Amino acid sequence: MKIIFDTVLYISLFIHIALMAVAFWRVWRGENVIDRLMGLDLLGILTLAVLVLLALIFRRIIYIDVAMGLAALSFVGTIALAKYIADEQMF
Amino acid sequence: MDTILQVIAIPAILTGTFFSVVGVLGFIRLPDVYTRLHATGKVGVFGVVFLLIAAVFWAPFAWGRGLILILLLIIIGPVTAHALASAANRIGLPRKGSIRDDLIHHLDL
Repeated sequence: MKIIFDTVLYISLFIHIALMAVAFWRVWRGENVIDRLMGLDLLGILTLAVLVLLALIFRRIIYIDVAMGLAALSFVGTIALAKYIADEQMF
Repeated sequence: MDTILQVIAIPAILTGTFFSVVGVLGFIRLPDVYTRLHATGKVGVFGVVFLLIAAVFWAPFAWGRGLILILLLIIIGPVTAHALASAANRIGLPRKGSIRDDLIHHLDL
């Protein structure tokens, strides 16, 4: 049972890393600025998923703490850049 | 006991991975900014939340912070999607295949 669980975790980890490569390609060659910003937001969310999977694999709680910080900072950055694009000024 | 918790956790991990794959596939394939935004919302709200449900069930050390992170993700997912859609509408990105625009009078700033 342990070996099946570890196999599922590693397969999910590799799938999420491949999806991060796809999102990074979309940031690099996006159609417009909102598309690239969506790619950055998706890259942050997928990094968060990879951190949760690492916490499940290595059984350390520190990865979930890092994921909480990353979620808060990615949220603030995306909101600030969206407001900058919409109003052409930050404040 | 460990076997029961792993049997609960494995379908949650598979469901989260499925929603992440579907969301990124929609992010590549859909024709419009707004529909792509609809697809990427699935990754944040369903994919990571199901992985965190698996973490809450399987790891006995992480259930408090896992629940806090689930609550945080459910709050910040729609707020981010709304901000990006509002910015795309404000700079005038076109919709594909729309026959009527009810928000056109919000564009004159």
